Amino acid sequence: MKLKKLTELALLTALALIIFVIELHFPDILPIPGVKLGLANIITVYAIFQYQPSETAMLVACRVILGAICSGNMSALLYSASGAAMCLLGMIIISRFLNPEYLWLCSILGAIFHNIGQILAAMAVMQSMAVLSYLPVLILSGSIAGLFTGLCAQAVLKRMHRTEKNS
Amino acid sequence: MTESKKNKQVNVILLITVLVIVLCIIWTIVAFRKSAGQRVLIIQENQVIQEIDLASAENQEIKISSADGGYNLIQIQNHEICISEADCPDQTCVKTGILRSESLPIVCLPHKLIIRFAEEGETS
Repeated sequence: MKLKKLTELALLTALALIIFVIELHFPDILPIPGVKLGLANIITVYAIFQYQPSETAMLVACRVILGAICSGNMSALLYSASGAAMCLLGMIIISRFLNPEYLWLCSILGAIFHNIGQILAAMAVMQSMAVLSYLPVLILSGSIAGLFTGLCAQAVLKRMHRTEKNS
Repeated sequence: MTESKKNKQVNVILLITVLVIVLCIIWTIVAFRKSAGQRVLIIQENQVIQEIDLASAENQEIKISSADGGYNLIQIQNHEICISEADCPDQTCVKTGILRSESLPIVCLPHKLIIRFAEEGETS
């Protein structure tokens, strides 16, 4: 891996982690487990369209593990890891069919995949179908959050391209 | 991949997304209806540990200990059930409040605890 790329990825990981830690201090929006803004995913969606899938996977893996350590909530690691893995897989596949103008759509679908992954992990841990009823609520809130993070990432991508052209 | 082909794919993906979201809206509306049931099950690690009939239950507090040494304090008041106190890190079960809907149970993920209405014909 080129040094420049390694530095860029490290910077993005640090950024994602900072966003994640700041978001931890936000009050809960809804009293339902798993409902979050997921602002750190701005970085993930951006990386999907800017880097190779393997590079994005490394970024997300670092962010999830470091995020769990920073939040001190290790029991949540399983849910966020499975959610992140599903989200990553889904977005990598979908991004092949979409132009960067439709990044927001990719982000919404990524959020939906994330929620499905979370619920699957919860079903495995609890060995119960009861948590499945949270899925529609999670998908609805996730879609709204996904649209927001997607639009943010799209704005970042546009500006980065402009900066690259100028320099 | 050609541009026109990509545009067609965008429409398909957009359609699927909208469909999923609409389905979820309908599902959520159905899920948030108030339950007519009165029998409530307290489930821990996939085993029913207590069954309560809210219609005849007196006001009380039940303390449930979990395998990792934590606890959840379940409160029954005026024929309504909620978790009033817990030492789990996320406190989501406490914030969920009173159990209202058949399909939206009170869940404490760290302690693997579920409180939900019993389905018809279901016994412990």
